[in-house]
Amino acid sequence: MLTRRIIVCLDVAVGRVVKGTKFEQLRDVGDPAELAVRYERDSADEVVLLDVSAYAEGRRTMLDVVRRTADKLSVPLTVGGRIRTIADVRQLLRSGADKVSINSAAVADPFLISRAADQFGSQCVVVSIDARRHTESWRAYTHGGSRITGLDVVDWARECVARGAGELLVTSVDCDGMREGYDLELLRSVRAVSRVPVIASGGAGTAAHVVAAFVDGMADAALIAGIVHDGITTIAALKADVAAAGIPVRLETAA
Amino acid sequence: MIATVLDFGVGNVHSLTRGLLSLGLSIEVTDNPREALASELLVLPGVGAFSAAARQLAPVREELRAALADGLPCLAICLGMQLLFHGSEEGQGKGIGLIGGCSTRLTGDRVPHMGWNTVATASPLLSDSQPMYFAHSYACRPNDPSAVGGWTDCDGDRFPALVQTARTTGVQFHPEKSGEAGRAFLRTWIKEVERCA
Repeated sequence: MLTRRIIVCLDVAVGRVVKGTKFEQLRDVGDPAELAVRYERDSADEVVLLDVSAYAEGRRTMLDVVRRTADKLSVPLTVGGRIRTIADVRQLLRSGADKVSINSAAVADPFLISRAADQFGSQCVVVSIDARRHTESWRAYTHGGSRITGLDVVDWARECVARGAGELLVTSVDCDGMREGYDLELLRSVRAVSRVPVIASGGAGTAAHVVAAFVDGMADAALIAGIVHDGITTIAALKADVAAAGIPVRLETAA
Repeated sequence: MIATVLDFGVGNVHSLTRGLLSLGLSIEVTDNPREALASELLVLPGVGAFSAAARQLAPVREELRAALADGLPCLAICLGMQLLFHGSEEGQGKGIGLIGGCSTRLTGDRVPHMGWNTVATASPLLSDSQPMYFAHSYACRPNDPSAVGGWTDCDGDRFPALVQTARTTGVQFHPEKSGEAGRAFLRTWIKEVERCA
């Protein structure tokens, strides 16, 4: 039986994992490769490295981080942030990323999704959608949730899938960091138009929130960050609770 | 032993070569299918598009099929496994044709089939209960199921996760991405290869 995934996201700035509001008051919390491996042992199903470097100099450093992390990691690695071109995608995959996550560049040029899917296969193209609620619907945002676009999230999700996205990473900017639960209505609305897996993101505070994302939000995977980085819980503990709710998850055997 | 990894030029072969190195194998990565023919142990990696890979294999296809049928040890992963068959709905070109049948698009509710799934198997290479990592939109449909050593189900679409014929092992999942379960698979597989050498 296909299990539901719990994916851990690490924000990386110029080679180090950081915490804090994006671009502001970043605090160094460790080495990406070391933390990724620690989360693999804690039964993370996948790891996402998100490049939040404020300057372009982060790019070359990021390739090195991807290589070092891929060297040690035995679960899938997704890399996002600052991906603008097909050459960027190729470089990241050749450095050891299994998938890339594209956001702002896909909005600026939706053909980037089609070209990446054609060349590298849909299974390595994740389109990341940052959504903010606007009364009865959601609007897509770019640049870390700071810039509004003219795109309705559900319409945009449909287009991403039609263009060959292999997964949709759907983040509620409203819920992000609040730890009060995922935006379930947003997840259901995207799920209704998407044949590809949907990853819930933004708002995880407890195992009950993750369960709700799977059951009520119909998500295939749930992204978590702060609650494990801050030591509030572990992935293994989250998974035990999710399994107890009757949802199939992978429990990593000891090495 | 020296494992020759045939690089189709587009995806991540880094994780695979690292996984093989940890088994104590020496690794050669090449984009030249002639070198594949001359290898001691051939690995067909799991990333790329069917038609491009089929084009790359075309000049040596007949010889490669003969070498595999004759007992060249081979591990074929994901796309590599699909290349063992005659063709694919995914794109033009011929596969190696070692196993009869073609790949067709998955029919489940959710495609790509992405994530950790179990394999129903009696093979010593795998455990029934330990999920492996899959990431694919197409699956092999063998004419004759006798080569199939394990099946996986995705939304009611049942497809081979493990095929074995001569000394070739094909897997639809990615052992190099399947954590400890994947390492265990690779360790058992290499022992089997070495035992028969």
